[in-house]
Amino acid sequence: MSRSSEQHPADLAGAYALHALDADDMVIFEAHLAESEEARIEAAELKDIAVALGLAVAPVQPSAAVKANLMAMLSSTPQLPPLPASRATSLAAMDAAATDPGATPAGSPAATATPGTEGAASTGATTTGAPRPVPDVHSGDASSTPRPATASERAQTRWFKRPAQFILSIAAAVALFVGGISLGQSLNSNQFESQQAASLAQINAANDSQRAATTTVDGQEVTLVWSNTLGISALLVDNLPVLPGDQDYQLWYMNNGAATAAGTFDSSGDGTVWRVLDGTMHTGDQVGVTVEPTGGSDQPTGDPIVALQS
Amino acid sequence: MLGLMTVDSAGDLAPPAPASKEELLVRVARGDRSAFGELYDQIAPRVLGLVKRLLVDHAQSEEVTQEIFLEIWQSATRYESTRGGASTWILTMAHRRAVDRIRSSQAGRDRDTKIGIRDLAVAYDHVAETVEVRIEHERVEKAMNRLTQLQRQAVSLAYYGGFSHSEVADMLQIPLGTVKTRLRDGLIRLRDELGVAS
Repeated sequence: MSRSSEQHPADLAGAYALHALDADDMVIFEAHLAESEEARIEAAELKDIAVALGLAVAPVQPSAAVKANLMAMLSSTPQLPPLPASRATSLAAMDAAATDPGATPAGSPAATATPGTEGAASTGATTTGAPRPVPDVHSGDASSTPRPATASERAQTRWFKRPAQFILSIAAAVALFVGGISLGQSLNSNQFESQQAASLAQINAANDSQRAATTTVDGQEVTLVWSNTLGISALLVDNLPVLPGDQDYQLWYMNNGAATAAGTFDSSGDGTVWRVLDGTMHTGDQVGVTVEPTGGSDQPTGDPIVALQS
Repeated sequence: MLGLMTVDSAGDLAPPAPASKEELLVRVARGDRSAFGELYDQIAPRVLGLVKRLLVDHAQSEEVTQEIFLEIWQSATRYESTRGGASTWILTMAHRRAVDRIRSSQAGRDRDTKIGIRDLAVAYDHVAETVEVRIEHERVEKAMNRLTQLQRQAVSLAYYGGFSHSEVADMLQIPLGTVKTRLRDGLIRLRDELGVAS
């Protein structure tokens, strides 16, 4: 909490609307919400912006089984009673304050996402020790415990995972998939791998993420993902053959006949190998892969095994 | 009222408008299963699209979508239309659930693995984009492009990536305090660019 106290709690409004707060900051921010009408108005507005981001995502049709399951579960899933009058009143008052009358239909969602005024008081009562996954709604649970937990209770269960663990686990995942990237001696490999993972996550999260797919000359599937605004790209190849010890795969950015070296990698022969390219991608660049002597070459010495147009 | 009238007049060319999501939610709150089915048909693809954007894995995203709709069924009694639109209520719930799922350890690990082989095109391939979605997408993309790069990255990682602000700070290698302010001023900028939301 100390790291937050230097800052004004109002700074947390963005992360709150994006569900990106950790437990400590959630408590701080909810206390701030309870005190400040201005903060409640801003929170409702920013929540609407988050929803606008959600509405910009392309829909995906669920399989028919999802609806069939749901319809079958309804009869065994009781509905929650409406909020008790006192709580409803206080929440309604809060939300009324948070709603700009007449202008936007300010969307402060109901109980599940509304800052509970009792949140701060009950903090710590629920999750003192072992972190556990957030409880799922099963029809069985619901019949015995009409819940939902307060926002801060949920926050406590939600944010147990530390960033350090996150970096470790993503680094482990990278190790799994990269299957041994060729590294310069000076580079610390863990650092390199987490940078690779972070870059790939950035491409995936970018608003302008794009993708192109083709096959190598030998038929392996190749996918290029990139973001023009970030200027980075990554290449993914399935089942790329193992190379002899004195050779590496090398990536190139190609534009107007000029090739720029963009890093080397090797492959364990099966699974997906991927590599975020070094350097900056420019709009319209081609990305190619050649087989080069270990450590890579300044310019390609052979024909590309694959080339993709971004 | 102005908004409603605009919608109505635009809808004249189309077949009779289906019940609004708000009306359906009110009926769901009374235990109306056919209203629930209709609401599901209207908004489930949006919910799954958003959840899958965060979770990547299709089967897991369907599972979470199912949980979200059970929660809608259970807590529709607590939805109040005076507080905001049904889409806002449902998509906020969906995003929170997806983030909750990411925070549960195994799912997080699975995702960290899968994110490396994520099929970015899937979301666009599965369902033919409606005009409505394309317009909304372009509108948001245009607004996002008005942000600074740091604002855009921070907002994208937090909302579409489902990362906590501490994780965003680690990934972008900037102080947590900077992430907090970028998330906030980024959203405020988006609000100004987008005008009236949802």
